[in-house]
Amino acid sequence: MGNMTNMVARIPNLVDWSTGEVRLMSAKCNSCGTYFFPKEHYQHRPGCSREGVEDALLPSKGKLASYTIQHYPCPPPFKTEKNITPYGIGLVEFENEKIQVAGIITDTDLKSLKLGMEMETTTLTMFTNEEKQEVVTWAFRAVK
Amino acid sequence: MRDVYIIGTGIHPWMGFSEKVFSDFAAVAVNGALKDADIEWNKIQTIMAGIFIYGGNAGHLSGQYLESIFGETGVPVVNVYNACATGSAAIRMAYNSVAAGETDTALAFGADVSPKGFLTAKSDNAVQDRDVIRWKMTGMPNPVYWALECRKRMAKYDTTEQDLALVKVLMSEYGSKNPDARFKKAYTLDEVLNSVYVCEPLRLYEICPVSTGAAAVIVTADKELISKADKTVKINATTMGSSMYGDPTIRISAVSCPAVPEASMLSESYSASHQAYEKSGIGPEDVDVLELPDNSSWHYLVYLEVCGFCKEGEADKMLRDGETKIDGKLPVNPSGGFSSHGEALSAQAIWQVIECANQLRGRCGERQVKEPKVAMAQTYGLMGNSGTTIISI
Repeated sequence: MGNMTNMVARIPNLVDWSTGEVRLMSAKCNSCGTYFFPKEHYQHRPGCSREGVEDALLPSKGKLASYTIQHYPCPPPFKTEKNITPYGIGLVEFENEKIQVAGIITDTDLKSLKLGMEMETTTLTMFTNEEKQEVVTWAFRAVK
Repeated sequence: MRDVYIIGTGIHPWMGFSEKVFSDFAAVAVNGALKDADIEWNKIQTIMAGIFIYGGNAGHLSGQYLESIFGETGVPVVNVYNACATGSAAIRMAYNSVAAGETDTALAFGADVSPKGFLTAKSDNAVQDRDVIRWKMTGMPNPVYWALECRKRMAKYDTTEQDLALVKVLMSEYGSKNPDARFKKAYTLDEVLNSVYVCEPLRLYEICPVSTGAAAVIVTADKELISKADKTVKINATTMGSSMYGDPTIRISAVSCPAVPEASMLSESYSASHQAYEKSGIGPEDVDVLELPDNSSWHYLVYLEVCGFCKEGEADKMLRDGETKIDGKLPVNPSGGFSSHGEALSAQAIWQVIECANQLRGRCGERQVKEPKVAMAQTYGLMGNSGTTIISI
C-alpha cells in the first residue's frame, strides 16, 4: 500500500481509504437487498421498486472464493510502471453482503493461496502521474 | 407460425489475421450459401447481418456493405450485435421473419477479421462503459474469468487438469479432420499438459484465440426452393437468452458477482436452451449431435450441465467415459469446436449451426457422426448473451 495522503485512484468512486482502512465503494438497494459493485452496476431483483439505493462501503476483510495466476501481461489500457506478471487475481467473498469482487492479489506469496483463506482489501500503486501522485487500484492481500 | 428450413449454407474457412476486409470474407460465405441452395440473389427477401465491431462504420452496417456487393434490391437489412452470440440473433431474426410470413426467404450472415492480438477496451469512459474498469483496474482479459470459474469447479467437483487437457485432445483430433478449421494439429495429452499456463488452471491449448472467418445461412418456407434443395434441414427452434437474477457466474466485463446462487450458472445459456426445448418439444435426450461453445475446456464441461445433458458435476465422467466422442452416446463438437477454430464473433454462432446442418446432411467426411437426426447448436456471448438452435432432418 502506498502513502495514503498522496494517492489517487485511477478511476474514482471505486475504492475508499478516507477512514484509514481500505474499503470498496459499493451501493445497497434497500428494496431488494442487493449490493452492487461498482455502485452503478445495478443488479436489482426483477420486480424490485428500485427505491432507496444508498452508498455502502464493503467490509475490509473477506474470504477467497477463487483465484487465478495470470502469466501474460494484460494489454492496455492496463498500465503498471513495472511488469507485474505473473500476478494473482482473486475473487473475494463478502459474506453478509452476498457479493464476490475480483481484484489483483498483492503482497502475498501466490503459492500460499488457498480457497477460503481470509483476505483484506488494500491498494496497489500502478504508476506515478505527472503530479507525482501514486495512481492506485484496489487489491487484495492475505491477512497476516 | 410456418415451418422454416435451411436450404443453403456457406463458410469462409477460419484463419488468423488477414489484410483483406471483412466484406470479402462475407461474400465468400454468402456466395457459398446461394450455390448450396441453388438460388439467385434476388430470391433473398431480407438480410439479417451480424455486426463486425472492429470494422468502424462499415462493420456496423455490415448488411448494407454485403448487399451492395451482390446488388442492392431494397429489401429490409437489419444489423445486429449480441457479443459472441451475434450470429444467433441474426439466425433467429431470419427464422422469425420467415416463420411469421413476413418474407419467404431470408439470409443470415456474419463475418469477422481477427483484431490481431488480445481483445481490449473499446472506450475510455468508465462511468458509461463498465468494461473499462476491468481493463484499467483489475487487469482481467477474458480467460481470467474462465479460470476463476474453472478453479471453483475443480474445488467443488473432481475435475482434474487431465480432464481439461483431454478436452483439447478430442477437439484437436476432430479439428484435424475439418478442412474449415484454423488449427489442424492433433495434440497428445502430454503435449497439452506441457503447454504453458495462461491463467492457472487454464493452459495455452485449453483456451481459444480470436480468428477470422465468415458464415452464412439461407432459410426459407418457399415450397419450390425447399423441393430443389439438397436435403433440407428443419429449424425446430432458434432462441436467445439473457442472464437471470442471482446467476453466480462472474460475467465477462463485470468485476463482481452474487455470492449466493439463485439461478443456474451461465443463466443466459440455461434460458436459451430451455426455451428451445420447450418450443421444439425436443429434449437433451433426443439430441444426436451437439455443438457447444468451448471457449475453454471449462466451458466444454459446464455447458453439458447447464444445457441439461447431465447433472451438475457429472460432465467430467461423460468425458472420461468417451460418451462425448464422435462414436459416443452424445457426440460433442465433431467440428473441432472453438478450440480448433477460434472466435470470429459475428460468424461463430452461424458456423456452429452450419456444422450441425452438415452433420444432418451427411457432409462431414472423416468427422461424420453416424446418421444423426437431431442436432443442437449452443452459443455463448459475454454480458448475458446466448442462443440455441435445434434442427432436424
